[in-house]
Amino acid sequence: MDVLKQLLGRLHPIIVHLPIGFIILGLLLRWYDRKRNEFDHAIPLIFLWAGYSAVLTCITGYAQYIGEGYTFETVKWHLWLGITTALFSFLMYFKFGNTETFAWVKTIPIVVMTLLMFVLVSATGHLGGTITHGEDYFVEPLPNNIKSALGFETFEEKEIALTEETWEDALIYEDVIKPILNNKCVSCHSPKKSKGELMLHNEKVILDGGENGEVLSINNAIESELFRRITLPKTDEEHMPPKDKTQPSKEEIKLIGAWIDVGHPFDQTIQQSGLKKELFLSFFPKKKDNNYPEIAVIAASQDSIKIIEAKGIHVDPIDKTSDFLKVSCINKPQFSDADFESLKPLSRQIAVLDLGGTQVTNAIFEKLATLPNLTILKLDNTTVTGENIEVLGSLEYLKSVNLTSTDFEEIHLQKFEDFKRLKRVYLFQTKINDKGMQTLKDGQITVDYGNYELPQIPSDSIVY
Amino acid sequence: MDNLEGLIQEYLQREAQSKTRRHFIKNCAQGMGGLALSSIFMGCDPLESPKKKAAMTFSERDLNPLATLAPPFSPKVKSVIYLHMAGAPSQLEMFDHKPELLKLDGQDCPQSLLEGKKFAFIKGTPKLLGPQAEFKQEGESGNWVSNFMPHFKKVVDDVAFLKAVHTDQFNHGPAQLFMHTGSARLGRPSIGAWATYGLGSENQNLPGFVVLTSGGNTPDAGKSVWGSGFLPSVYQGVQCRSKGDPVLYLEDPDGVSRNLKKSTIDAINKINKEEYAKYADPEILARINQYEMAYRMQIAVPEVMNINDEPENIKQMYGVKPGEESFANNCLLARKLVEDGVRFVQLFDWGWDTHGNIREGSIDLGLRNKCREIDRPITALIMDLKQRGLLDETLIVWGGEFGRTPMQENRGNKKMAYKGRDHHGDAFTMWMAGGGIKKGASHGKTDDIGFSGIEGRVSVHDVHATILHLLGFNHEQFTYQFQGRPFRLTDVEGEVIKEILA
Repeated sequence: MDVLKQLLGRLHPIIVHLPIGFIILGLLLRWYDRKRNEFDHAIPLIFLWAGYSAVLTCITGYAQYIGEGYTFETVKWHLWLGITTALFSFLMYFKFGNTETFAWVKTIPIVVMTLLMFVLVSATGHLGGTITHGEDYFVEPLPNNIKSALGFETFEEKEIALTEETWEDALIYEDVIKPILNNKCVSCHSPKKSKGELMLHNEKVILDGGENGEVLSINNAIESELFRRITLPKTDEEHMPPKDKTQPSKEEIKLIGAWIDVGHPFDQTIQQSGLKKELFLSFFPKKKDNNYPEIAVIAASQDSIKIIEAKGIHVDPIDKTSDFLKVSCINKPQFSDADFESLKPLSRQIAVLDLGGTQVTNAIFEKLATLPNLTILKLDNTTVTGENIEVLGSLEYLKSVNLTSTDFEEIHLQKFEDFKRLKRVYLFQTKINDKGMQTLKDGQITVDYGNYELPQIPSDSIVY
Repeated sequence: MDNLEGLIQEYLQREAQSKTRRHFIKNCAQGMGGLALSSIFMGCDPLESPKKKAAMTFSERDLNPLATLAPPFSPKVKSVIYLHMAGAPSQLEMFDHKPELLKLDGQDCPQSLLEGKKFAFIKGTPKLLGPQAEFKQEGESGNWVSNFMPHFKKVVDDVAFLKAVHTDQFNHGPAQLFMHTGSARLGRPSIGAWATYGLGSENQNLPGFVVLTSGGNTPDAGKSVWGSGFLPSVYQGVQCRSKGDPVLYLEDPDGVSRNLKKSTIDAINKINKEEYAKYADPEILARINQYEMAYRMQIAVPEVMNINDEPENIKQMYGVKPGEESFANNCLLARKLVEDGVRFVQLFDWGWDTHGNIREGSIDLGLRNKCREIDRPITALIMDLKQRGLLDETLIVWGGEFGRTPMQENRGNKKMAYKGRDHHGDAFTMWMAGGGIKKGASHGKTDDIGFSGIEGRVSVHDVHATILHLLGFNHEQFTYQFQGRPFRLTDVEGEVIKEILA
């Protein structure tokens, strides 16, 4: 019997469209026919059908209410309005029909009747929709700013944004803890769902706790239910968030623990809370140290790349998100100054260039200066001496030059002082016989002469 | 004889009679149906794109499986040198300084630590064994290094320590497999195979993934620790030797000239390409490629594997022993290989299993010898890469398959001949150095006796995620479709260890 009830009940959302359709059709036809009176016979018939189908809808609706376990409180208004709509449809039939029953309805003005009918069908439909689709069916997809403008509470998925300068003044709850909870917990713990009768979207409800009581224990993360749940092994039944949901990161978990340990302050700044800077470091913006400039460049044409690759030169994007290229002549040791011409089509895109072990000479520097975005340059194991290397000083982004095992001469060393962003120069096995690391340009440039040594020590020869 | 032929005749006739048309149709219905179905479903793999199957032509990557590919994200390193100390080195004598343990030397291990734990050999209640080395804080970072590693302290500011790595395996074979393939069971590709599959390799004359062992034993887990698993076999590690022929069977046999070799390989590959056109089996392509690479390697490998031409001071710095198989030789080779664009170099050293049952395997004697054998070469490797500007684009990973117990081993519940420690996976030390690594960092902390990690515990998967991250991959998105599902090196776990990243 329960099965029947449920099955019948589930017909409700389908059948419901019949009376709605009939009623709207009846109302429209009546409006269209207001002067011509061509459909006099059709209109009452439509409302009669509307009435019958509405009764059927009421029955299935009641079955659904019983079978699916809705509370009366939830469906109350929808139920009474549904019945009213059904009855009113019959009234409309009597109003327009050629019958003497309920003659009094004929005295009510048509406008009043039709308006009432319209309001009834709309309201009932709306309430029904709210039951099945939820209160926020139309609000949910809206962007957050429109939502809050409309007066709905939003749980914004904002990232934690702290910087070296502002972190101490940021609010510990508002700027750090709240975004973590909003991003990882609130989708199930808010007025909308409140799983385990726990909500986590503001101070008051967090302190209220859930069905098992409070979730925060003063100054004690380990004893706090909230912290215990998020630190349980993922395989544990009680682990939160459930294992198929997005998990908080190690750093976020650590922060929540530290926040509880200092007594879960809601209004303090980070400085006032006394939490250590290390906890927040991973939320500071990452300094990018890519091997290419942080600017956009148009992609090189695939055809010119193919032509160059056919000569045995590697050409690859530095990564799939970048149009900058890394070019390597590792398989083409015979590459010479003249061959540089073939790289011309890629001059804007080349950021990393490896000409190590090739035949290039000092003449290459002039040509290299035509690569505006060159960032990493390798000229190791070539015969360059450094003459003319100053032309590379015009390169805006050049960061590293490798001149290991070349004929580089000391007199050219000072030229690096004029390089804009140069950071590293490698000069091991060159004409300069120096040792270790030194700096140029007030420490901006590190020059590594290598020649590191590991002298023999007595323990080298002791065999145990 | 006539009799026999008669019998054969009769047999053939009988057989022919039984093969009627009806028989053919009856027997074939199933087979044909199956064939039709398989083409309808495009093989067993519902996620495999039908395009891939339908196009029975060579794709560029198929023909040249080691062609370089761009990583998804900006990479910090180009190559990896992984130094594995097979047998598991004792963190308590090398990097994890535990003064408390020294005070507790000789006392019974508390029962609470033993409950629910499994050890390979320890039985009953073992005694705690104090550190057998002396520790000092070294470098500007002030990280601890023991006197077993006197050279290493010079590069301590270049490395980042992971002090609380843990593994769930306590036997060498499975633990090594886990450490190198992300699974304690056979069948998964090794880290080097993943790396070469994802990035290819720059030098077309050398393998993309080279394995060097220090001679003696191969790792307990066998060659699977550098295997390709379900990836095409071209991505497996190529084992090279520093003594004798660098790669076995690479030399031409007597009387075979290089030209003859070339024509032979051309002919074989022509036939193989025809086979591929027929069956589209990617393994055929791998074979074609391996023939061609072997031919090119004949010249390139002996060149790169020859350490005799290195300057004397470099040889001294590494402490190489030309003509022998040694870890020092392999470290120098690793630098040369990385310099020549090899993607992944895997070094295996052996003899680190210090149970205390023999002199070589003792914590106070044998271990010192092992440390001496790696101390100079590893330090030299870091310095040498640095002076050539290669340390910025190379990642060095050092570690064993697990660590060792703070307790003295008591195999068979008896006092052992030498001081030794049992296998221990709860907490051990690994370190990384090179591009993208925070110099002088130390992440994680163990308890007072070094039994478990109490802070910054990282898993083997986390280590893998970090290696892939530095190569430019998101370990969660770097997958290979196999048996109907995408596989990852880190399976369903792993988190990048940001604390040791620059």
